[in-house]
Amino acid sequence: MLLFTAKRVLSGLVLLIAVSIGTFFLAHLAISDPTASLLGTTASPAQQAALAEKIGLDRPLLVQFWDWLSQAAQLDFGVSWRNFQPVSEQLAVKVPVTLSVVTFATLITAVIGVAFGMITGLRPGTWFDRGIKGISVVLFALPGFWVSLVLVMWLAVQLKWFPAVGYVPPTQSVDGWLRSITLPAISLALGGIVAVAEQLRNAVIAQSRQDWVRTLRSRGLSSARVNLHILRNASPAALTVIALMFVGLLSGAIVVEQIFSLPGLGQLTNQSSQNGDIPMLLGITVISIVFVVLINLLLDLVLGWINPKVRVA
Amino acid sequence: MKRMPLALAAAVAATLALTSCSGGTSPSPSDGSGAEGPDALNIGNFLDVTSWDPSLADIGFDGPYLSAVYDALIALDADGAPIPSLATEWTVADDDLSIDLDIRTDAVFSDGTPVDADAVVKSLEYLKAGPRSGEAYLNVASFEKVDDDTISIRLTQRDDTILYLMGLGRSYVMSPASIEAGTLGKEPIGSGPYVLDSTTSIAGAEYHFTKTADYWDAETYPFSELSIFPITDATARHNAMLSGQINVQYGDVANLEQAEQQGWNVAQRVSGWAGLVITDHTGAKSEPLGKLEVRQALNYAFDGAAVLAAVGSGAGVSTNQVFPDGGDINDPALNETYAYNMDKAKELLADAGYPDGFAISMPMSPIFEMWKPSAEQALKELGVTVTWDNMQMPDYQLNAPNYPMFISFLAMDGNDVATVARQVTSVQWFNPEPDYAKNDVIAPLVEKVQTERGDAQTAAIEELNKALVDQAWWSVWYQANNTYYMATGIQLQPVVGMMFPTLRYISQG
Repeated sequence: MLLFTAKRVLSGLVLLIAVSIGTFFLAHLAISDPTASLLGTTASPAQQAALAEKIGLDRPLLVQFWDWLSQAAQLDFGVSWRNFQPVSEQLAVKVPVTLSVVTFATLITAVIGVAFGMITGLRPGTWFDRGIKGISVVLFALPGFWVSLVLVMWLAVQLKWFPAVGYVPPTQSVDGWLRSITLPAISLALGGIVAVAEQLRNAVIAQSRQDWVRTLRSRGLSSARVNLHILRNASPAALTVIALMFVGLLSGAIVVEQIFSLPGLGQLTNQSSQNGDIPMLLGITVISIVFVVLINLLLDLVLGWINPKVRVA
Repeated sequence: MKRMPLALAAAVAATLALTSCSGGTSPSPSDGSGAEGPDALNIGNFLDVTSWDPSLADIGFDGPYLSAVYDALIALDADGAPIPSLATEWTVADDDLSIDLDIRTDAVFSDGTPVDADAVVKSLEYLKAGPRSGEAYLNVASFEKVDDDTISIRLTQRDDTILYLMGLGRSYVMSPASIEAGTLGKEPIGSGPYVLDSTTSIAGAEYHFTKTADYWDAETYPFSELSIFPITDATARHNAMLSGQINVQYGDVANLEQAEQQGWNVAQRVSGWAGLVITDHTGAKSEPLGKLEVRQALNYAFDGAAVLAAVGSGAGVSTNQVFPDGGDINDPALNETYAYNMDKAKELLADAGYPDGFAISMPMSPIFEMWKPSAEQALKELGVTVTWDNMQMPDYQLNAPNYPMFISFLAMDGNDVATVARQVTSVQWFNPEPDYAKNDVIAPLVEKVQTERGDAQTAAIEELNKALVDQAWWSVWYQANNTYYMATGIQLQPVVGMMFPTLRYISQG
C-alpha cells in the first residue's frame, strides 16, 4: 500500500510540474501584453511601459519563468498584477469558498445519490424505481443555471429563506455559512445525484444477482447486513463518479459563483483571465491541480482499500 | 421561471429550518437635509474594488468604495466641473504653470493624525508615482507645501485636465503612516465619511463600513450604515435587490420594466459611445479613409438609432458626437448631419473615387461581437469588404491601434476639455498617433481650445465639436446609457466619466 501511495504521489507531482510549465508559457503566449487590460482603456503607452517594468514583463520570458518556478517551489506565487496583493493570500480567501460549495454539493450528491441508487437497485422495476428514473431524466436535462435561477427566485427572493447572493465564512457565522452555500450547492448537486444513483443502481442490481449474495441470504444474515455487503461491492463505480464530479465541480463552480456572487475560485479565474493577471492564473492552476491530484489519490486509496486487487495495478 | 419549487430543494430547505434573512430596511427620517429614506445604504456594484490603495485603483467602478474611506482633495459636480472637498479653493497662476490649493484644517485621518499640507503633499507624490493614478499628474513637476494649509502644484506645461482628473478619483488623500508602511491595500486609512470594517467585511463578497463620528461634511453622507456588494452578474444583482439584500444597484436596462413595477427609482445617463474608431485620417494606413467623402459615407451608412435599438436595448441616444448628450457642448441639431442615407453614402464613395467600394481589415473580439452583424451589413451594402481578424480582448486593445478603423465602445468624460484631450489630442490605445495636427480644419480649432480660457474656450470646443462631426472624425452610432435602480427613498445622480458614481451622488429622498 505504501509503494502504491508513493507511486500515485509521484505521478501527481509530475502532473503538477508539467501543467504549471505548460500554463506559464501558454498564458504568456495568449496574453502577449497584459498591461493594456490591467490598466484599463484610458492608460497611456507610457503608463503601460511603466507597469510592464514594475511587474517584470520587460525581462526575457525564460528569466521570468525561472523566477516564478523558484518562488513557487517555496509556495510563494508572487503578487497579483491587478492589485499587487500576494497571490497566496488571495487564494487563501477564495479557496475555502469554492471548497465549501463543492464539498457540500458532493455531500448532498453522495447522500441522496447513494440512497436513491440503493433503494432502486434493490427493488428494480418497482413504481419507486420507475418514478426516480423519470425524475432523473428531467433533472439531468435541466440546465444548472436555470435551476439556480429558479431556486433564487423561489427560496431567496420570494420566501427569503436564503440570501440571493453572497458568502459568509463559517468563522463568522455557521448558520450564515450554511445559508450562503445551500442554494449554490443544490444547483451543483442535481446532475450529480442522477449520475451517482444510476451508477449505483446498476452495480447493486449486478451484485444482487451474484452467488455470494444468495449464499449470505441462505445463511440467515439479516437484509441490512447483506445490503451493506452489496453496497461495499457496488460502491467503486459510484465512488468514481463522485470523485470525478468533485473535480468537475471545481470548474463548474464558475457559473454558480457568478449567479450567486460567491467570491470563490471561479469568480477569481474569470476576473484574472479578463485582466490578464498571469500570476493569479498560475496560482489558481497550481491549487486546482493539487486538488485534482489529492482527490484522485484519495479515490485510489479508497478503491484500493475496498478492492485489494486494485493496488497491484 | 418563477414557479418551479423543486421537491428536493424544499426538503433540504425545510430540514435546515431557517428563518428569514431579509436585509431590507424600512424608511426612516434622516437628519441633515430633511429628506427621508433608509438609514442603511446597500450598494450592488458591478465590480469588486480593484485595490484599496488609491494609487492602484480604477476610476470606473471603484468610486463608491474609495469615496467611502478617503476624502478627495477635489470633487466634481454632476456635470464634471471641479468643486471643493478637502481643498476649499484653488488659484491657477496667470502663466498656467502652478495651482495653489487651500486645505481645510478640520479633517482628521481615521488613525487620529491631522490632514495637513504635509500629508497632502505626501499623498499627491504617492499618487503621481502610482501606475494607475499617475495618469492625472503627467505634467506635474512637483508638489510643494506653502504653509500648513496651502500647497502648490508646479506644472511643466499648461494642463486643463488636471483638476478634472483629480476630481474624478485621482486625489484621494491617504494617511502618511499607511503610505510609508505600505498597508493601504489591506487596511485603508483615510479621512472619509466611513471607515472600512475589516472584521465583518468579506473580500470579494461584501464590504461593511462604520460611519465616521463628527465628520466635517456629514450632511453629504446621510446614511448611518453602508455596505457595498460587488456582484458581477446582472441577474444576481437584480435578484439581490428583489430580495432586499441591496437597495441601490448598477442596473441592466433589460430589467427596467420590472424595476418600474417594483416602484424603484430609476436614473439613467450616457456613459460611452459606440461606433467606428478611425485611427487614420490621412490615408497612411488605408488610403480611402484619408478622404473626407469616404469618412462621411461611413457615417451615412449606419442607422445609429436602429443599432441602438437592436444592440443597446434603446437605452441611449442616437448621435454622431463624442461630447456627452445633455452636456454643454453636444448640439442635438448636429445629430441630423448624417441621417441614415445609404444612397448618399454610395454617392460619396463614388465621388471619392471608390464606386466599387474598397477592402479593409478590422479586428474583432468577443466583446464587440454584438455590433459585428450591424457593421457587416452596413459596410457590405456600402461596398466595403471587411476581413475580420479575430482576437481576445487584451489583444484587441493591443492590436486594434494598428488598424485604420475598428469597432469600439469608448467611455466618455463629463468634462469638455478632458473630452478633447482623451478623444482627439492625447495618445490612447484607441488613438495611437493623434493626427489632428495634419488636418487643416481641426488643427487650428484644437490650438484655439488649448490657448483660450473660460467662455472663449467653451465656444472654441463647440466649434471644434461641429468640425469633428463635419470632418467625420469617427463614425459614431450612439451614446449608451448607464442605468441605476434605487429603492424608494434613495436617489442617485449619474456622473459621466464615473461608471458608478462616488457616494456624494447618492442621497436620501
